[in-house]
Amino acid sequence: MDFELDEEYRMLNETVSKFVDNELMPLEAAVLEREASGDGYELSAEELAPLYEKCRALGLWGLDCPEETGGADLPALALVGVNEALGRTVTPFTFPPDSPNLHMMLATVNDEQREKYLEPYARGETISAIAISEPGAGADPAGMITRAVRDGDDWVINGRKIWISRIREADFAIVMAVTDVAKGSRGGISAFIVDKGTPGLEVARDIKLIGGHSNCEVVLEDCRIPTSQLLGVEGQGFAPMQLRLIVRRLQMGAWCLGMANRALDMMCEHANQRVTFGEPLANRQSIQWWVADAVTRTHCLKLMLWDAATKQDNGDDVRTEASMIKLYGTELATDVIDNAMQAFGAMGMTKELPLQMMAQRVRLMRIYEGPSEVHRWVLARRRLKESS
Amino acid sequence: MKILVAVKRVADYNVKVRAKSDNTGPDLANVKMAINPFCEIAVEEAVRMKENGIASEIIAVSVGPQSAQEQVRTALALGADRGILVQTDTDLEPLAIAKCFKAICDNEKPDMVLLGKQAIDGDNNQTGQMIAALTGWSQATFASEITIDGDAVTVIREVDAGLQTVKLKLPAVITADLRLNEPRYASLPNIMKAKKKTIDNTTPEELGVDTSPRVTLLKAAPPAERQAGVKVEDVAELIDKLKNEAKVIS
Ligand SMILES: Cc1cc2nc3c(=O)[nH]c(=O)nc-3n(C[C@H](O)[C@H](O)[C@H](O)COP(=O)(O)OP(=O)(O)OC[C@H]3O[C@@H](n4cnc5c(N)ncnc54)[C@H](O)[C@@H]3O)c2cc1C
Repeated sequence: MDFELDEEYRMLNETVSKFVDNELMPLEAAVLEREASGDGYELSAEELAPLYEKCRALGLWGLDCPEETGGADLPALALVGVNEALGRTVTPFTFPPDSPNLHMMLATVNDEQREKYLEPYARGETISAIAISEPGAGADPAGMITRAVRDGDDWVINGRKIWISRIREADFAIVMAVTDVAKGSRGGISAFIVDKGTPGLEVARDIKLIGGHSNCEVVLEDCRIPTSQLLGVEGQGFAPMQLRLIVRRLQMGAWCLGMANRALDMMCEHANQRVTFGEPLANRQSIQWWVADAVTRTHCLKLMLWDAATKQDNGDDVRTEASMIKLYGTELATDVIDNAMQAFGAMGMTKELPLQMMAQRVRLMRIYEGPSEVHRWVLARRRLKESS
Repeated sequence: MKILVAVKRVADYNVKVRAKSDNTGPDLANVKMAINPFCEIAVEEAVRMKENGIASEIIAVSVGPQSAQEQVRTALALGADRGILVQTDTDLEPLAIAKCFKAICDNEKPDMVLLGKQAIDGDNNQTGQMIAALTGWSQATFASEITIDGDAVTVIREVDAGLQTVKLKLPAVITADLRLNEPRYASLPNIMKAKKKTIDNTTPEELGVDTSPRVTLLKAAPPAERQAGVKVEDVAELIDKLKNEAKVIS
């Protein structure tokens, strides 16, 4: 067993770390200030343009896109370090194209859809959204009731979706809907591509969340789309949707590792120099235990990520590993960030430090892509079944 | 023009290096290693010369342990064409390293050897000068600007009194100072290309170099910890302390 990353991926990680340190970290002060003043913290077009230019020059573009779409097609193992580095900063940035739906589309598009949707998306020319959650079905998407009914050469969709990210900016949305009520998630849920501006697709309201996030509630009312908009096989929309979640969960685990390491660095630096009652905080057992737990748990998370990524690159099913990583990573980062905030005292509560932004970000992460409790439940069920 | 560029594997500049508990040297176990930053500047300069059509081939050379292949590979990812690793497990002194370079110069016949002005591990600032002495080539150290014109090189050097401009004839040995350039990062396509470039392995013995040490390391210890300073009330008190306590002014 070899725990060394290949030379070229170590070099890539080095390049990405430098990019984060030299290009993204310097933007943090402005991001924090904007967030504190209540404005969105997103980077402006003027801030993004030079970053994208650098990404192009460095080949940091389409890292996980397949070669035929002009991407670098890096293995999951190489991406662990990339996402970890990005997680260290609160400057909101992902290497373009930001394409969480890519893997789902790769597994499902036909030739026509590949050219019309996938390729421009993989090049970073379009933005997409995914609409799974409903007011009555979140953690349990199999309980969705949005219906798509075949009508001649069209599908007609009716229903309500909620918590949808980026739907206002998106050029198209992948909408999940029930096509066979009797079969449900076992062959009765399909995925559809709905273009922006399609009549019957309406954003009903914006909902503000913590961490500067904003999601939307979407109403589909007699939304009519041609059959060519069916993504993948009718009734088989659930499995590719799960595939998308696996990729995302590994990515989230790596972000969490980066966040936790940053918080740990900050906590250690502070504990060494802050003196209370005549002694540095570093000498107090309560702080030492936070540090000890954090180094142990971040080490675990790193090994979990390497393990899952290696298996995924070998083509193994890593659903279980992805669940563990999503659960463990988000809870670990939550604790380390919270301890770091505590160690900083009042300073830890300010909007001058990135810790509070990290705390809000990881708080959201414990809900989306499956709440912790659901992952625990799934993991336990799987294990219990093995012994039954 | 063919350029030999030196890359040394050292502890990353961000690492706080500690002495081993038995005082036999720095403790480098599990420490992040990197290319010496001044070597990185030398590599960058060579790559720019190649991009400007001045250099035709860049050979990255490292003298060090097998793991120093990583730094040679990084130089290849930054734009060097091929690499040479002079493999040794002993921590060589500048003279032995310079002799390795002299032997490689005899084989490769480069027009220029580009090095960092010093490596941030030993901070010796000797290897470049020694290579120049051994080869008999002209030398310019602490370069902050290099201009090539035919077989003449004009180098602006950073010296204590300011900037000094010297003109040399090729072949020459030039060492890079901090302000010579700002090194790029290795791009992903170049990292992938670097995989296919060759690194030749050799040893000081194969090069016929006597590496026996001239210097004996007696003890490696951390510098004394800085005492906390004192706050003075006013300028008069400061002057009084400088005069009577520190005795640095009279
Ligand atoms: C920032 C953010 C972005 C999002 N973006 C999108 C998007 O783009 N598209 C989209 O479709 N959705 C999106 N969502 C929605 C997200 O997927 C859901 O919020 C999530 O699946 C949980 O569903 P819910 O909110 O309905 O909670 P519920 O399903 O009501 O669950 C509430 C709580 O009940 C508990 N719980 C539920 N089931 C179990 C169980 N089996 N065992 C034990 N406890 C249980 C958990 O504690 C859970 O947190 C986003 C959410 C957030 C926060």
